[in-house]
Amino acid sequence: MNLDVLTGLATPIAMGILLGGLYALIALGLSLVFGVMKLINIAHGDLVLLSSYLAFTIMTSLGIDPILSLVIGMPVLFVVGFAIQRYLLNRAFRISMEAPLIIAFGISIILQNLYQIVWTPLSRGLTTSYALESFGVGGIRIPLVYLLDFIVAIVVMIFLREFLRRTYLGKAISAASQDRGASQLMGINTNRVYAFAFAIAMVFAAIAGVFLGLTFPFTPQSGVSFLIIAFGVVVLGGLGSIVGTFIGGLVMGLAQTLGGYFLGAAAQMLVAYLIVLIVLGARPRGLLGR
Amino acid sequence: MKVNLPRLKGGLTPLIAVAVLLALFPVIGVPNSWILYLFLFFIYLALANMWNLLAGYCGLISLCQPAFIGLGGYTMVILAWIGVPLYLGMIAGAVVAALFAVLISIPVFRLSGIYFAVGTLIVPEVLRIIFLIWRPVGGALYGKGAGYAVKGATLVSTMEIYWLALIVCISSVLIIRFILRSNLGLGLASIRDNASTAASSGINVFKSKFYSFIISAAITGLAGAAFYISQGFIEPTSAFSVKWTMILMLATVIGGIRIEAGPAVGAIIVVILHFLLARYGGVSLLIQGVILVSIMLLAPQGIVGSIRRTGTSRPYRALMRLTTRR
Repeated sequence: MNLDVLTGLATPIAMGILLGGLYALIALGLSLVFGVMKLINIAHGDLVLLSSYLAFTIMTSLGIDPILSLVIGMPVLFVVGFAIQRYLLNRAFRISMEAPLIIAFGISIILQNLYQIVWTPLSRGLTTSYALESFGVGGIRIPLVYLLDFIVAIVVMIFLREFLRRTYLGKAISAASQDRGASQLMGINTNRVYAFAFAIAMVFAAIAGVFLGLTFPFTPQSGVSFLIIAFGVVVLGGLGSIVGTFIGGLVMGLAQTLGGYFLGAAAQMLVAYLIVLIVLGARPRGLLGR
Repeated sequence: MKVNLPRLKGGLTPLIAVAVLLALFPVIGVPNSWILYLFLFFIYLALANMWNLLAGYCGLISLCQPAFIGLGGYTMVILAWIGVPLYLGMIAGAVVAALFAVLISIPVFRLSGIYFAVGTLIVPEVLRIIFLIWRPVGGALYGKGAGYAVKGATLVSTMEIYWLALIVCISSVLIIRFILRSNLGLGLASIRDNASTAASSGINVFKSKFYSFIISAAITGLAGAAFYISQGFIEPTSAFSVKWTMILMLATVIGGIRIEAGPAVGAIIVVILHFLLARYGGVSLLIQGVILVSIMLLAPQGIVGSIRRTGTSRPYRALMRLTTRR
């Protein structure tokens, strides 16, 4: 193989790895909710977008930097998540197996159309001064936000790991996810723990949403593609493993950038989607799943 | 496949009477707007019936119904461009949708519950991207990617399309009737109640679900093709849109999931909703979403289910005796 192909491939590989961080970040909330409540939150992608749109409004109207606007965005999504779990999903679990899924689907449709009404169907982006900067490493140029995504993802993942291990709430969440009945007998109020777990997952979604907006332009319909990517990350990485989520993110990021490199920009998501379907067919419990 | 004949025949007379009456509507000069709404009702009912079969009776929350609708429509349109008649194309559409269901059942049937739901969600997204890139045959461009006008659709009269949709709708009703009264339906009911007990009683859980999935795909594809004859054009974004899932889910949930008559009642309400909300554009889907969530939370059995639950009241029982002559 000649050197030109290698240097040509270096850019998509480097960008794919860095993008993997962002995807792991998006998947973190989905993975947490799934781990605790055994529910794949179909509205996850749309809730991530809620944070992107909030940051967009704060940036355009108040001129506050999107990353700083998380001071507002994180509490807002915490409350939204708590309310969704407490008042909608918690009741749905008692109705039937399909009720939480149908309700989550309904929430997804409501949010998509709400965005369309409030923010119009136009493609938006969080274009800050540093969003367009890039830096050079060994002859390849990499956008600064990609590096930022990766660093933030690692920091957030270490934080989540320590949170689940060291705090009471974190231990309660882990306990409730392992055995609901036993943790109730140990005096844990599982309904409250579920609501907090969902709310915390939404805080991660808030962080993911802002960095997503810095990296990609988004439309009201973008939620579905990010849901599928997050689902792919969870499927690839298996459950309950933060390292697995990270590896899953890398695979999805590389699939997208390499797919875009070989098949053109229009097909980049196609490769990522097909990988999810193939992995589901081959190893339904995930590559690293137990 | 064995079928309980007395149960299949019972209550068939009112059904036939309604079908004949509906079939006569365009001839006796019913206003055109009615014909249009009834056409939508037929399509929605066929789609909702097929989703009810999967979600209600098999426990498969399928989110890939738009894939079958779009494939049914596209197969017909592409064949029409090559010169195949529309009606033949429709049947080909149903066959392609069914074959596609066989293909995707390889990955998605290894999943259960929520995994199945999200796994199927990916399928229409993949197809949309493929059809946005790929342009199978030449022809007048309509919209982005593989947008086509349905060749020959203008030659089909409104009456013909109406009857076509009626036929598709009635066949979906009859198929559901047949399945629920055959040993396949009995097997599905026992799987729904307890899958492992059903399996140990000799019911092939995989086969029962697999056949239902294929049947559902074929009829959904047929209904999709019929819809696109009336629409006159097809393009990937709306053909593989999540809006389809919304319609069939809403119709089933409003009427009552896991109830045979549920989708019929639900489809009437969805058509009325579309009629009432048509002017409001984006808000329309928002309101439909709110209705879906509220019904699921407040009356999970839907309208028909709620009526049945209050069915212990005296007037209701008297009415039931009158209508069923028991």
